[in-house]
This record gives sequence, C-alpha cells and structure tokens, in this order.
Amino acid sequence: MADYDAIVVGAGLAGSTAAYCMAKAGLSVLVIERGNTAGAKNVTGGRLYAHSLEDVFPGFADEAPVERKIVRERVSMMTDDSCFTADFHSSRFNEPHSASYTVLRAEFDAWLAAKAEEAGCDVVCPGNADELILDNGKVAGIRSGEDELTSDVVLLADGVNSLLGQKAGLKKELAPNHVAVGCKEVVELPRGVINDRFGLNDAEGMAHLFAGAPSNGMVGGGFLYTNKESVCVGLVVTVSDLVKSSARLPDLMEKFRESAPLKPLLAGGKLVEYSAHLVPEGGLHMLPTLSDDHVLLLGDAAGLCLNLGYTVRGMDYAVASGQLAAQTVIEAREKADYSNAVLKGYKDRLEQSFVLKDMRTHKNAPEFIEHTSRMFNEYPELVADVFTQMFKVDGSPSRLFLKKALPLVSRAGIFNLIKDGFKATRAL
Amino acid sequence: MKKIAVCYKWVLNDADIRINENTRALDMEKCKPQVNEYDRNGLETGVKLKEASGGAELVGITCGLNTESSTKDALSRGPDAVYYLDDAILESSDSATTSKVLAGMIRSLGDVDVVICSEGSSDQYAQQVGPRIAALLQYPSVSYVSAVSLDGDTLTLDRKLEDGAETVTVKAPVVISVSPDVCEAPIPSVKQILSAKKKPAAALTLAGIGLSADAVKPLAAINSVKAPQTSRKAINLSEGGASLDEAVGKLVKQLSTDGLL
Repeated sequence: MADYDAIVVGAGLAGSTAAYCMAKAGLSVLVIERGNTAGAKNVTGGRLYAHSLEDVFPGFADEAPVERKIVRERVSMMTDDSCFTADFHSSRFNEPHSASYTVLRAEFDAWLAAKAEEAGCDVVCPGNADELILDNGKVAGIRSGEDELTSDVVLLADGVNSLLGQKAGLKKELAPNHVAVGCKEVVELPRGVINDRFGLNDAEGMAHLFAGAPSNGMVGGGFLYTNKESVCVGLVVTVSDLVKSSARLPDLMEKFRESAPLKPLLAGGKLVEYSAHLVPEGGLHMLPTLSDDHVLLLGDAAGLCLNLGYTVRGMDYAVASGQLAAQTVIEAREKADYSNAVLKGYKDRLEQSFVLKDMRTHKNAPEFIEHTSRMFNEYPELVADVFTQMFKVDGSPSRLFLKKALPLVSRAGIFNLIKDGFKATRAL
Repeated sequence: MKKIAVCYKWVLNDADIRINENTRALDMEKCKPQVNEYDRNGLETGVKLKEASGGAELVGITCGLNTESSTKDALSRGPDAVYYLDDAILESSDSATTSKVLAGMIRSLGDVDVVICSEGSSDQYAQQVGPRIAALLQYPSVSYVSAVSLDGDTLTLDRKLEDGAETVTVKAPVVISVSPDVCEAPIPSVKQILSAKKKPAAALTLAGIGLSADAVKPLAAINSVKAPQTSRKAINLSEGGASLDEAVGKLVKQLSTDGLL
C-alpha cells in the first residue's frame, strides 16, 4: 500500500491546482515544494489570464491576492532612439472569464497552496524531490534525502527544467531554441504614482510589451506590468540567440530600464527584487511525452507556454493542465489502473481543451518568431522612420505622405513585408 | 531521565527588515516568523540527548505573541510535543519576563531534568534567558556549551570561553545554554515535516502556570528602535560637469587631505 494516492512535485499553479482538485475528490495527496513557501522560487512576468482558474475557483479574484485587473494594453516597437506604442484601454475585459490580473506569485502561489492544504493535501515546503522511486522501471514515488515516499501516481509540476521529467524519460534536456531566459525587476512606487503615470484607477492595471531595441534585435522583448504598489519590468531573450551574441542579459536590462521611454515610468522607484528564470517557448515542437505509467507532466514542465508577441501565456495553461491531470488521476483511481492506458487520457483531455488546441493553432508561431528576425530589427526601424517622416517638420519642402513612406517601405522590402504579414496571419 | 525541555523563541526573520530612510524606523511588515536560528541547534542538541538518554521525552517550549503558529515548525525539528503560551501581553517581553514565563511553564510540566536554551535570540540577543531560568528553578546553570554527552543523569559539557576551554560534569537537573557550534541543525526532512502534524501541541496560559498579568509586565518600555545612520561626505567629484581629469584631480586631492594617500 502506497503512502499516498498521488504525489505532486512543485506547488506552482499547475501543481497546487491538481492537488486541490484531487483532494476534493477524496484522494490522499502529498505536495512537495522546494521553496520555503509556495511561490518563493517563482519568476513570472506577472499576468494571469483568469478563465481557467475561474473554472476551478469561481470568483477567485475576490479572495485571492491579485494585484490589479488589466484594463489597459500597450504594445511598443522600440529602436534605440524611438518608440511607437499602440495603447488600448477597454472595459470589455470585465467578465470573469475574459479578465486578467497582474499577480505577485510569492503571494498568489501561497494562497493557492493553502487552498490545496485546506482541501486535505499534505503540503511540505521546503522539501526536495531528489529522485523518482522506480519499481520494475515504473514510477512508484519520490525520494527526498533519505526519505522514501510512495504513491500510485506522481504528477511532475516541477517547472521548465523538470529534471525529474527528464529522469522519467518523458522529456529531453531543453534545446537552446526552445527556451528563453527572462529577467525581472520589481520596482516599488506609491499606488497613486502608478495610477497617475499609467492612467489607471486604483484596482486597474496595465500590461505593456516591447519589441525591438530591448532585446537588441534578438528574438524576445521587454515587458512592464503594474501591480498595486510596484511594477514588474523585465526582458526575455531566446537562449539560442543570446549565446551567439556578445550582449549580456543584465546589460540589456540596464539599457532597457534606462531607455528614454522607460526611465520616467520608473523614476523615483525603489528596486526591491531581481530575479531570472528560463521560459519554455518551443510550443508544440517541444511538447514532451505527457504521461507514462504512474506519472504525468504538468505546466511549464510540459512546456505549456505560448508567446505570440502580443500575448504571453503560460499560467492559464498551467492551471488547466493541473485540472485535467487531476481529472485523469481521479478516473485512474476509480478504475484502479494507473497505467498509461488510463493516464494517456490526460493528453486527450488537453487536446480537447483550449490548451493543445491553442498550441496547434499557433504551432508555427515559435518558428515564425524565431525565423523572422525582421520583427525585432527592420520593422521597428521602419515604423520609426515612417512616423519620423510623418511628424517631422523642419522647413524642408513638404511632400505627400505616401511619397515619404513608400521609399522606406520598399527599403524593408515589400515582398518581405507581404511574406511576413502572410506568415504572421497564419502563425499568430 | 524523564524529560528534556528545549526553549525556543518564535522570532521575525531579520533578513526581511526594511529601514525607513526618513525616520530610520524598522519596518517589519515583510518579516515572517521563524524558529530562532540559534534555537535550532538547541533543538537538535535535545534530539541527541534524548537518543543518549534511552527513553526521555523531548519537549519544546515557547512563549510570546502568535506562538501557536510555531508548533508545526518546531515539532518537525524533533520534539515529541510542544507546549506554547500564546499571549499578546508578551509581545515585547524582555529577558526577565520571558525567563519567568518559561520557568513557570517548565515547573508546571514537572519532571524536567535538562533544560536547553541557546545562547541568544536573533532579535534581542540578550544572552540572559538560560541563566535566569536556572536561577528561578534553582537548577545549576552551564553556559557557552559547545559539546554535550550524557551518562545516566550526569552530563559532561565542554564550554568555550574567552580565555580557554573548560570541561564540566554536572548532575541533572540542570539548565544548559548552547552555542551554535554545539551541533549542526539539519533542515527537517519531508517525513519529519509530515510527522509534525501528528504530534501534540498544547497551549498553556499565564493563569494556568500561576502568573498574573502584572507579573509579566515589562519593567522597562522600549520607546523606539532605529537603525544607525552612517554619515557620508557625499562628495560628487564630477559635479558641474567636471571632466574625467578634473574629477581625478579632485579625488587625489581629497584623498591626500584625508591622509589616505
């Protein structure tokens, strides 16, 4: 007889959601988390699309420690000396299922893990899951130091690297083009200053993504999210580009933070946290084997992340994968069969849900973004040139706008534009 | 040997203290409570003594504000049971009061042969509680203990002192205060953390141990605690757009004025 029905490794969004759902169905569950508290080790830009958590905890935002509800979206194309920004303010995202929130995961994950504990899970943090226990080659639990803890199934929600997922043979070591490295600073500012600077009311938030100069033309971009009394500002760059470049991420971050558009937004702020982490970005192409006998992969460990340039998602997929993994395990328990014959139903559930549907819809997005370096180089320059022509008045004889713009566009290559535009519509 | 009691303090983690730059006041809002780090060595000393005793009960003892929330953490570090006295009146309790309450708790438990304290707490580090408890209980007190061994009811204790090292033998009952090098304090294992949930934690009250609210009133009040201010000259060498050469010249001049060159 195993110690637990299920052991969950990692108390992030995927792990805690799975643990909560399983405990609610009466399973005995152990959650083991290496941080001193759930969320302590997390690095997230900071935006949670609410819909999937809303399915598990209707109305969660009233109770959970969310920071601000996003009502303002900004996307910028930056060059070293210019910044073009699209700004969209809307109250159309007010429905619980279409809302999104900025979150500080150190607090948010602790809340979610407490929910799992209330539901009856044993939550151990800090605790390390060092190894998987194998019984005739099949997963039978985890080893932590000298302790052995057994279970009918192990749910690996141990993050992007998922060393245990690699040991279980479910995934390979990360490829440099399937993963980005992100760094993030949390800068404290008074609530009123944030409201004024970003044009927000008290509970309202803004998400701002930047392409071009912040990543020095490499695949990646910058972000800025507003919390109640701080902003998260950071940078994500694909590892395969970064290793080829002479630029260092901390230097790029410094340059980004000191850039003309950013500096006044952060002025007077106090840097209170700096962190960095890997981000899975390979999409469907890096999808690992999601299950085997007695073991499942969840969240970032399963590479469930999607970066389209204008939206970056991972947390809502993590929550959904946790819920669907739990459903699969509950079924396995009813059938008293934890072999992959039942557990492979997890992948079917993901396929039927938005998670893998999205991944399929956008299966070419990572490749498109990776192979279309013009998105990060030529196009921000082009936009800057066009707008410079449009707004520049220096006494030289004026020309029709089209005559000013056309040469610029043809410099970038009309065919490239059409081709990339066409590819973009099919990938993003 | 029947009972070994380890006293521990539930303190705020000083790593997260922030200092208000204007008032120099300490902002503890982000500080989470934890078992005083030095007391973790005390608890592990208790575990080792219990093993050597062949059957003594090991109990953890604490008093103060919000100590109820300390019990799981403390129990994961080895004690068979924890007794806590959770009373807001003890929020800013000084060493005299803390010792009075802990001694009262130990007395009410009865049969405590060895009391283990650490040399101090990370918040006040007054280094008084061990010897004070000994005085109140009329037990011998052995401080600065860096090694412990037990034979029957006799303890052999190494003491590390400023002017040398001492080895002391003493018969229980006794209060010892241990320094951090007495033993490593391991991080609790998963099984220890899980077993902590099944171990008993019992609340004691001031009335229950025969102390009135008056008896635990601090004799001195702390009016404010402020971080020290380092005064700097704040000389800006490139002030007014000075060139690098000018700035270097100024720096050299300043350093020689200060007698540093």
